[in-house]
Amino acid sequence: MLSTRDLVAGYDERTVLDGLDLDLPADAFTVIVGPNACGKSTLLRTMARLLTPRRGTVLLDGAAIRDLPTREVARRLGVLPQSPLVPEGVTVADLVGRGRQPYQRWWRQWSADDGAAVDRAMALADVAGLADRPVDTLSGGQRQRVWIAMTLAQDTDALLLDEPTTFLDLAHQVEVLDLLHRLRAERGRTVVAVLHDLNQAARYADHLVAMRSGAVVATGAPREILTADLVREVFGLDCVVVPCPVTGAPLVVPGLTCPSLAGPTGAAAVPAPAAVPAPAAVPAPATGDSVVAGAGNPATTSPAEAGAPAHPAPAATTPVARHP
Amino acid sequence: MTALTRPTRTAGLPGRTLLRLGPVSLQVRRRAVLVGVVTTGLLLVAGVLSLSLGTPYVATPDVLRALSGAGTPYDLVVLDLRLPRLVLAAAAGAAFGVAGTLIQSVARNPLASPDIIGITQGAGLAATIALTSGAAAVLVAPSALLGGLAAAVLLLALGARHGLAAQRFVLAGVAVAFALRAVTEVVLLTADPIDGLRAQIWLIGTLAGKGWTETVWIAATLAVLLPVLAWAGWALNSSALDDDTARGIGLRPVARRIGLAGTGVVVAAMVTAQVGAVDFVALVAPQLARRLVRAERPPMVCAALVGALLLVLADLAGRRLFAPTQLPAGVLTAAIGGPYLMFLLLRGRRRPS
Repeated sequence: MLSTRDLVAGYDERTVLDGLDLDLPADAFTVIVGPNACGKSTLLRTMARLLTPRRGTVLLDGAAIRDLPTREVARRLGVLPQSPLVPEGVTVADLVGRGRQPYQRWWRQWSADDGAAVDRAMALADVAGLADRPVDTLSGGQRQRVWIAMTLAQDTDALLLDEPTTFLDLAHQVEVLDLLHRLRAERGRTVVAVLHDLNQAARYADHLVAMRSGAVVATGAPREILTADLVREVFGLDCVVVPCPVTGAPLVVPGLTCPSLAGPTGAAAVPAPAAVPAPAAVPAPATGDSVVAGAGNPATTSPAEAGAPAHPAPAATTPVARHP
Repeated sequence: MTALTRPTRTAGLPGRTLLRLGPVSLQVRRRAVLVGVVTTGLLLVAGVLSLSLGTPYVATPDVLRALSGAGTPYDLVVLDLRLPRLVLAAAAGAAFGVAGTLIQSVARNPLASPDIIGITQGAGLAATIALTSGAAAVLVAPSALLGGLAAAVLLLALGARHGLAAQRFVLAGVAVAFALRAVTEVVLLTADPIDGLRAQIWLIGTLAGKGWTETVWIAATLAVLLPVLAWAGWALNSSALDDDTARGIGLRPVARRIGLAGTGVVVAAMVTAQVGAVDFVALVAPQLARRLVRAERPPMVCAALVGALLLVLADLAGRRLFAPTQLPAGVLTAAIGGPYLMFLLLRGRRRPS
């Protein structure tokens, strides 16, 4: 689907990606993770041809993306940038309609296909009820779904999203991720997203790309590659990786970095941060369980809280549905 | 579920009507049609008023009879003295409205307009030099056009390095405007007083003594640019999107901005060269039209009609308010524009964004 060959990209004087080779699978939900400034957004922007690479190529279905007309790319590849600017006063249906731009000309401003695609996109992203509302009066979560609807209206096989959950509360994060999951599972779209939360990445991704300092450290299914060693290598953070009690996906629990944070259970078992504990030293079963329970609770209860405003049922059931 | 109960959008987006003619389909905002029709009506009323008021006063039926070519004693006053100036006011106002719409949309700023970003000042400097150097009168307009375009080239060169990003574009324009105005002052101070006075009047902008010749130049410019303007009206729809989003939906935002801004400055330079530095019409008309249509960006055709109405009214008021003393139209537009700016500032951002 999307590949990069010897990709060199950056901003002004700074080179962020230096000779990157990567192949992203079609019909999968790929999540790119890595620490701040590791080049994950730069990679996504370059693949989406928002940023011109200094060297190397981005291949879309085997063809160099820079040789394709930008309108044609826009019919095959949708992009949601990190924090798009909401035009003042524009309505939801209007903004979603902009997604039809690659199919329109100034003398052919609307067709039946455009109407059908906009309706489909708004239904899929669950914003049809907001059609006539100005986007700048919506909540953050609603706005994000409107932007996703705009890219869906483009009717593309692939969708690239740059940190689609940043600035959203946990309930809305789950809502957006559920939507992306459904796009892949029910519509067969290829979805590529940059995410910050490793546990969300582990739960939702079919394919994980871990980056550090502009290079890819590991790629593969989260269950196969997401280990404490990988987290230490990529983020420089000591942690325990345990199976998530809800989905069985790897769950990353950071090790204790401040001794004073230790609760009543097993505080003494955790060494001081500077000591760099070996993975085996941390998870005394009691410690592991109590921490996992603490982390697990929000994950199981939050969808229910999340669902209250918009759509309780899908949000609450999805984690179960994804249970292997 | 909600989606199923809603009609499909085959007829276009909410608030719009789809016009179809074979392979051509255009989306028209219904409110824009309404505003357009009402403004056109007001423009016609203002036009008839403008033809009848003055010394001598000509009654409305006589004005209409003269216009229909029936041959009346008032033909000279109505058709030869007042009509050319009225048509010029409408044409120039419309052109200012179009130029302001294009420039404001590129700058994403309601304060941007040819008189703020230096186009008017470039034309003014060139006209001042022509008027005070004893050049032939016919050379004033061409010099002003070149001056306006030169200022535009300077501005685009300063702003284009950064893809004509909104903030830099406006700031570069303000800097260009100040520099050119300073040079103009120097030229005025060193000029012969009589020439200086003529230049001052040009700088304020007046329609007195002007008519068909100037109208033809403005109308020809708009006619030649008509295909570009048709494209621009559509392209403006996405001018409010940020660059990444625009690229994502298959646009080339930098090329598009340069095209829109370039068209805007050509129109602005041409109309300023013909009628002088009439301020504020290009600033006010697009925003007034935007508010009336309740759109997220200025609608071009409505802005043109509102601009035409404003300048016709300003010229009429300038002729009649202190008659027999005639005020240049530019004084009146500035008198409207000043309070309007204050209104913009006071209104500010009341809406949470």
